[in-house]
Amino acid sequence: MAITLRCLKELGDVMLQFDRISLQEETEVLRAEVRRFLDCHRAHFEHPNSDFSTGHDPAFSRKLGEQGWIGMTWPKAYGGSESSFFERYVITEEVLAAGAPVSAHWIADRQSGPLLLRFGTDAQKDFYLPQITRGEAYFSIGMSEPDTGSDLASVRTTADKDGDNYRINGTKIWTTDAHRNDYIICLVRTAPQTENRHAGLSQIIVDLRNDGVDVRPIANMAGGEDFNEVVFDDVVVPADRIVGDPGNGWEQVTSELSYERSGPERFLSAFRVFVELVRACGPAPAPHQAAAIGRIAASIMTMRRMSISVAGMLENQKDASVEAALVKELGNNFEKLLPEIARMALPSGVEQSLYRRTYEETMLLSPSFTLRGGTREILRGVIARGLGLR
Amino acid sequence: MDTRQLIVDTATKIFSDHVDKTLLDAAERGKFPDALWQLVVANGFHQLGSQDSGTDEADLFAFLTVCGQFAVPLPLAETLLANRWLGADDTLASIGLAADTRVNEVLWGRSAARVLGVRSGSDEVLVSVVPIVVTESTNMGGEPTDEVELGDPVIINVSPDPYAQLALTRLNLMAGCLQAQLDLGIQFATERSQFGRTISKFQAIQHSLAIVAAEVAAAKRAADAAVDAFHDPRFVLEVAAAKSRVGEAVGIVAEQVHQVHGAMGFTHEHRLHHFSRRTWAWRDAWGNEFEWQEKLGRHLANLGADEVWDFIATRN
Ligand SMILES: Cc1cc2nc3c(=O)[nH]c(=O)nc-3n(C[C@H](O)[C@H](O)[C@H](O)COP(=O)(O)OP(=O)(O)OC[C@H]3O[C@@H](n4cnc5c(N)ncnc54)[C@H](O)[C@@H]3O)c2cc1C
Repeated sequence: MAITLRCLKELGDVMLQFDRISLQEETEVLRAEVRRFLDCHRAHFEHPNSDFSTGHDPAFSRKLGEQGWIGMTWPKAYGGSESSFFERYVITEEVLAAGAPVSAHWIADRQSGPLLLRFGTDAQKDFYLPQITRGEAYFSIGMSEPDTGSDLASVRTTADKDGDNYRINGTKIWTTDAHRNDYIICLVRTAPQTENRHAGLSQIIVDLRNDGVDVRPIANMAGGEDFNEVVFDDVVVPADRIVGDPGNGWEQVTSELSYERSGPERFLSAFRVFVELVRACGPAPAPHQAAAIGRIAASIMTMRRMSISVAGMLENQKDASVEAALVKELGNNFEKLLPEIARMALPSGVEQSLYRRTYEETMLLSPSFTLRGGTREILRGVIARGLGLR
Repeated sequence: MDTRQLIVDTATKIFSDHVDKTLLDAAERGKFPDALWQLVVANGFHQLGSQDSGTDEADLFAFLTVCGQFAVPLPLAETLLANRWLGADDTLASIGLAADTRVNEVLWGRSAARVLGVRSGSDEVLVSVVPIVVTESTNMGGEPTDEVELGDPVIINVSPDPYAQLALTRLNLMAGCLQAQLDLGIQFATERSQFGRTISKFQAIQHSLAIVAAEVAAAKRAADAAVDAFHDPRFVLEVAAAKSRVGEAVGIVAEQVHQVHGAMGFTHEHRLHHFSRRTWAWRDAWGNEFEWQEKLGRHLANLGADEVWDFIATRN
């Protein structure tokens, strides 16, 4: 039976659905397989971190590709295995829970590939998708700009048609791994802005290594250099790098977002803190420690089931944008709460070296959890629209 | 349409026609809603999930979610479980927390023909057909809750864990009751105007209700998962997880929805408090969040750090 939020009839029957789905036997066979694989490749993550954006390891990504675990829902012709979204779900949650280094291929697998599959030309699909499924081509997201954050339609980077080419000018910012990845899909203006702010936007693929873009790493507060400023100064790319129809960029960008928002990476970022908390508390925890452990587990179990429900919607090609926003809202807030619960469960000053290191690393990353992929405030707006309030 | 949906739809129709503010107020003053009880019996709802009823426990708990949505002022959770455990009859039953033969917080104990006593961590249930009411009182949800002495008790054994089954009734009632609070919040926000527009147009109000929607969705998914685990060896632990998660939602939902309602929601005249007070009472009944979190946490600590993920990801 569907779980339905039955809102008022006058508002036109708002339904938010989180179907009760339990994973099938096949996915569990796959789970055992991926666990064996991870066990054999622990050397790639001696210091595990469940945040999908930490750990850029091309060698590890290629190994996952060899297993057929990247782009696995895609057609066989492109190196996929036409697996279900549930199978993909199992792979993603297992690699995250283990804290494996997945950031190299993550964006390509999660959204760039599906975008190309849906809107790309045959030539684009033939060229990029097999490289992605092999774990060899890594993509960045070129949406944000210095003056464009939440208000994505205000992008100013332009791509002007120039014979058989496009000439790109402008600056993208906060671009995760642009200094390590191969390609960036940029949201650009291909026609001047009119009354309709969403018209005249397009998505275009730029080669980060060969097209002459200027990539400048930006240090973050956690001490890492993961995101970048990417400057386009008359960068010329062939016209066939446009994804989909010129002018269709807005629709495409918004369709990427359900893929981006509902996955297990939206509630597992702090998971290793939980694991180390359990270790530090030992087999006979004090009551408040046991309660902290139980509280965290209870939340994760619930969000995981909601996320699987959304995987079911994607599998059935249903529009999951509101449900995905709901999972991200709950998940990101929880990822921030987890270290807060953990720290109160362990006496300070006690040397819990692995716990402390994991906790500190996650705490320092935590401000980003409710920003990346759409801020909490923007997501609440999406949910409110789903409720018929705006 | 499947049976469960039919049950849910019929119950929704009957309760929306018959459970109104007047009835709720009268029940909270201690007047037993006899006509409503007769309707429940006439429709066979009191036997849902009992042997030979052609329905199962999932139907029973789906029905309780509807009861929660309307704050139905009858001990239906208790009567349904008693009928399931003892075999169905048409009388009212209730269940309380047992300390010996003295049983506390028995919902409508004064009106029950059979009263049962359940203890945490025991599969033994005390049953009395000659219950004696010791003191009558009311919980913060406005539900009549009595202290009862069990006359001539007999012991039966119940599986799965009876205390967890009672907790499961509460979390399904809460899931429905939280839904009702969301509905009321949306309704009020789209009707009330200030500064020349409905307050639903203010971003602060939209965000409050978005938070509520997320909590309600989580509560419902958690409650369903616990029901789905009814025959699973992990049943008690799944109830633990769900009682924790749904209980957490209660505080957030009631707080936000009351804030959205302004002073009107603080009046006795408005319906909202029937729902918010009940969820405040139910999150404490049959184990609060801490009690269940500790139980689940002990189990996980015992499994060890490297096994917690497997526990979370195990299919059920
Ligand atoms: C670690 C990290 C990695 C990232 N990686 C990428 C990447 O790879 N590619 C990419 O394109 N971008 C990336 N981003 C950028 C991210 O998408 C933006 O941070 C996000 O869209 C918000 O934009 P902003 O930071 O400019 O904040 P702003 O939009 O300026 O917002 C500032 C604050 O105002 C609030 N606010 C804004 N508008 C509204 C409104 N209408 N109503 C209410 N509140 C509002 C926001 O919620 C926020 O709290 C990354 C960000 C982080 C932190």
